[in-house]
Amino acid sequence: MRLLLDDSRIGHVVAVTGHPPEVFSVKEPKRLTVFQAQLHKSRQVHKLLFGVVQEHKVQVVVHTAMHLDASDEGDRVHAFNVQALRNLLTLCERHPTIKRFVLRSASAVYQVQRDLPILIGEEHPLNMAGHAPQWVRDRVEADLTACVRMGIAPLEIAVLRMAEALAPGTGSQMFDFLQGPVCFHPGGFDPMVNLLSISDTVHALSCAIHSDAQGVFNVPGADTLPLTTCIRRWGRLGIPIPDNLLGPLYRIRRRLAGHDFRYGMNRRWLIYSGVLEGSRAQEVLGFVPSHPIEWPVLCE
Amino acid sequence: MAFRPAIAEFLARLTVDDETIDRARRVHLRDAGHGYDTFGMHPSFVALGEAVIAPAFEKYFRCVSHGHDNIPQSGATILAANHSGNIPVDGAMLWLDVLRNTEPPRVCRPIADHFVPSLPFIGTLFARGGMVGGSRGNARSLLEAGELLMIFPEGVPGIVKPFSKRYQLERFREGHAELAIRHGAQIVPVGIVGGEEQMPALFASQRLGRLLGIPVLPIPILPIPLPVRYHLYYGEPIRVDQEFTPDQADNDEIVASVAARVQASVDELLKRGLAERDGIFG
Repeated sequence: MRLLLDDSRIGHVVAVTGHPPEVFSVKEPKRLTVFQAQLHKSRQVHKLLFGVVQEHKVQVVVHTAMHLDASDEGDRVHAFNVQALRNLLTLCERHPTIKRFVLRSASAVYQVQRDLPILIGEEHPLNMAGHAPQWVRDRVEADLTACVRMGIAPLEIAVLRMAEALAPGTGSQMFDFLQGPVCFHPGGFDPMVNLLSISDTVHALSCAIHSDAQGVFNVPGADTLPLTTCIRRWGRLGIPIPDNLLGPLYRIRRRLAGHDFRYGMNRRWLIYSGVLEGSRAQEVLGFVPSHPIEWPVLCE
Repeated sequence: MAFRPAIAEFLARLTVDDETIDRARRVHLRDAGHGYDTFGMHPSFVALGEAVIAPAFEKYFRCVSHGHDNIPQSGATILAANHSGNIPVDGAMLWLDVLRNTEPPRVCRPIADHFVPSLPFIGTLFARGGMVGGSRGNARSLLEAGELLMIFPEGVPGIVKPFSKRYQLERFREGHAELAIRHGAQIVPVGIVGGEEQMPALFASQRLGRLLGIPVLPIPILPIPLPVRYHLYYGEPIRVDQEFTPDQADNDEIVASVAARVQASVDELLKRGLAERDGIFG
């Protein structure tokens, strides 16, 4: 939010939060309005869009809200993740001032397996497995919900499939994986992972805001490195464990320590390399990852 | 796998000299930011690969290289070779021979069958030395970056062919030809003599192979390969990058004709090699 407000090309920001506006940490009375709304409640969203958003002649909507806890499932979560987006898109399409919609999607929508390319382009297969957890299925559905409106709706839609941002509060499974002092990982495998910093996340959103291009864009991070190097540079001890023991081990960790990392959901990303290919974002949006993660451990 | 580049280099230095380490550091590498390329290759592991393979290359199989001047110094290139011997020793010999006989040193990227990246330890170590899984997307990315690929167009049927069919090429698949045309790559045919006799097999079992997650498991007569002498013959490059335009990669007849030319070239090289060599072990 701070970085967006520092952008002089942006006149006014309406920040939407599910919490009371008073707890919002960024204060900028002239250029920032904080509005509390539950996005799965269509009346509240309507009031938001045709009230304060219209009043400030907002032209671009950036939707980043997704239920972060991977353990939560059910209709309520689906309503927040998918139906809220669908409703928002419908309202934006007939809004008098909104011209552009930017959706922050995730690299988790992609399928990773041994016979697929390591470099993941926008045409790469999505994870449509029926047994995928709701956390993944909702993200795929939200992504596709936005994609199918491209070219149909009178709205420019950009979907940014972002690499995992190694930062708190982003719903990053990799960030949660790295929270314990010890990181258990599949023995015998050391895939390449690609990670994004918060600065580059904001930079990518900013590029998408100021572009008029429509489409799907991969947003890779500036850090591409082996999993074990990532663990070491984050200051953790990596211990290789046979693959079939990791699921139960992480279930125990979830129950005892409250961490959100689910091994089954992330297994293939910890075995096979999968790196987002970002040339389309570079050519069309002008986004180049240029802010590496600030690793706690400086060198190998 | 906590196999650090520093450890790889330390192990390499136990058996190879500084010049070899320096050569490995000079290989063309598109560093993704932490010393590795996007596919996981690292120079320290290239040096380790040389350290591990060199004794077999120099002392056991006593490899002789013919025509390596035909390997281009740069640019997208596919080395297309016959495949044999039940275990991919031929790939290892070719990998090291190219590394030693190109200047600046080039790592030829083996394009492996899909199951290889899923092998614990082996998949990771091979990736560190340049191997990538055999998907079209991986090959495309590497060729577009001007890299040198190692492809065995016979595939698995080539490596497990029975001893009685040695030096009789299985039908070359056409994927390498299509890739070369589409991405403007040269094809250098390579005839590998020696590998076809290294490890005669009793039979090859698909059922046992499936249990291990591989297409087929050869059951060799001997547990280790024989000390056959390897001869690597590099033929004249087939300049599909000059003869065809990328859109012609969708012409099945052209692709088939190029694959057939490559197969014929490899066959010629094998015939030459068999005529010139002084016995299987000589």
